[in-house]
Amino acid sequence: MTFRDAFKTATRSLTQGKMRSTLTVLGIVIGIASVITLMSLGASAQKYILDQVQSFGTDLISINPGAPTKGPPAAVQGIIIKTLNERDVHSLENEPSILNVAARVSGQAIISNGDTNRSVIWHAFSPVGFTMFNMSLSGGTVFTEAGGEAYRKVVILGSQVAEDLFGDVNPVGKNVRLKDLTFRVVGVFAPKGVGILSFDDYVVLPLSVGQKQMLGIDYYHEMNVQIDPRYDTEFVKSRISSVLRQNHHITDPDKDDFMITSMEEALSIVESITSALTLFLSAIAAISLVVGGIGIMNIMLVAVTERTREIGLRKAVGATDKDILKQFLIESVLLTLIGGIIGVAIGAGVVGLIYFVLSTFFSIGWVFAFPISSVILGLAVSGIAGIVFGIYPARQAARKNPIDALRYE
Amino acid sequence: MIDVRELKKDYVEEEEIPTRALRGVTFSINKGEFVSIMGPSGSGKSTLLHILSFLDRPTEGSYKFQGKSIDEMTDQELAHVRNKDMGFVFQSFNLLSRLTVYDNVEIPLLYSDISPLKRRECIENAVKSVGLPEKLYTEAGKLSGGQKQRIAIARALVIDPNVIFADEPTGNLDSESGLQVMKILESLHDKGRTIILVTHETQTAEFANRVIKIKDGMIESDKTINTNRYYNGNLK
Repeated sequence: MTFRDAFKTATRSLTQGKMRSTLTVLGIVIGIASVITLMSLGASAQKYILDQVQSFGTDLISINPGAPTKGPPAAVQGIIIKTLNERDVHSLENEPSILNVAARVSGQAIISNGDTNRSVIWHAFSPVGFTMFNMSLSGGTVFTEAGGEAYRKVVILGSQVAEDLFGDVNPVGKNVRLKDLTFRVVGVFAPKGVGILSFDDYVVLPLSVGQKQMLGIDYYHEMNVQIDPRYDTEFVKSRISSVLRQNHHITDPDKDDFMITSMEEALSIVESITSALTLFLSAIAAISLVVGGIGIMNIMLVAVTERTREIGLRKAVGATDKDILKQFLIESVLLTLIGGIIGVAIGAGVVGLIYFVLSTFFSIGWVFAFPISSVILGLAVSGIAGIVFGIYPARQAARKNPIDALRYE
Repeated sequence: MIDVRELKKDYVEEEEIPTRALRGVTFSINKGEFVSIMGPSGSGKSTLLHILSFLDRPTEGSYKFQGKSIDEMTDQELAHVRNKDMGFVFQSFNLLSRLTVYDNVEIPLLYSDISPLKRRECIENAVKSVGLPEKLYTEAGKLSGGQKQRIAIARALVIDPNVIFADEPTGNLDSESGLQVMKILESLHDKGRTIILVTHETQTAEFANRVIKIKDGMIESDKTINTNRYYNGNLK
């Protein structure tokens, strides 16, 4: 029996029971659509996060206090380490491979405008941070060293904070209270929408004000370094290490009290986390594919029983075991492939709908990602599911004795 | 064409004493003969037909079809011979009711090496030869019993086999339809085809020019007869 004839026979059998065929492929449709949707959303989320991180600049290196560990940083664990200080900033500024150094401290406080108040996270850094982090304003100006504002109680509000405190009124030039201190608003950040590095819900203060008046400390929570593009990142990292070891009197590199992370490393970490998450979610969705496959096997077994006489007849008029196996296997692969194609189409529809909703109603700069690899994977997996779950019923059919099959009632 | 010697067939159920369906059957059938195999229920006539038509293998004895022993053939070769040289007509027609007459008659061709281009001609000729050309695209389920059996004969003929095996072909038909079917088989015999018929009806058996009677797995009689073809227009 040629493949063409086997294909024609299988198609004819499937179209004879349209409702049954439709219900049978439903499990595969749901499984493939789920896997495709999650893989595409994972790819979109990864690209969205990476784009945001990259928008901060890929030429940045961050230095955090605390010994390098495989776990979370010391600050995240609530451990206060006071090792990064002003001397470190000055030493790094003198390095030829480093263009800029911005130290940072942060905290949380209640911010208020008259009776209107809300909780806010504030960051304090030197004016050079605005250019290093590619930050733009929708109104007002950033504070600068030249104007002396970098040492005064001035604040730049995130767009959401400005809206919560002032509504439609322009807050530039107005005063706000932050931890019982009065600050003059000099600018408002341009809105960025929802995102991990959006400043919409933050406020930014001058470094000295945050460090001395808000916290009363003489160390920094973090330092960010912008490297000269003529130098290799690894070289700059080694220079930073030797400068800080010298300043901190460290002779054994295993006893470093700081961690250096380049933006490239951060991107790679984000990439691996999002990839692992996507894979994990896709694996969960794949369970529904297995359930769908078992449904196919079940229906195919029923079909083999119902068509026992047909199998007997085909064998009597010359079909070999291989011909019968081929016919039933093609039927199950056709079912799962049709399910796979519909599943891919539905998956693409769902991904498109999510993109539309997020970008239209939530102003999120979501990226429409529908990788061709997920389409190929979806179709390949559905085809393989057809073989895996169809082979047992097909072998049952092929092994039937023609005499018994012809006598089957 | 067909030569069987001391053919025996045992059916063995698990942990039970084997049932001997055939106890040493010996006969030959020449090309162009019309042979009826008769016998009461359980006599072994269907078992004999299954072995002769390569649907089953004997437990002991030899069976040569067109000079070649069944023992020398693989299952795949048996399937090939069934497709190329044998046609089958069953008591219960075994048509696929939701397929058209055309698709039903095409089934043996699917397993042959006849090209798709020649198939249409083969199918049309086969359906025409049983007198139902107008039913070519009718669903098999919508045909009468007699028409179904005639289409089953067309399916057996489509491959142009050397021998046609018919297992109680009139068993599910009224007398008029049964007569029509037997006339078709007779005309096929007249054109030189070998027909081997299993029946328990004496009048049906007498369409043949030779009747082999089986009883308890053995040949009771093997007689060549003068055919009394038309039975005054009635089979029963």
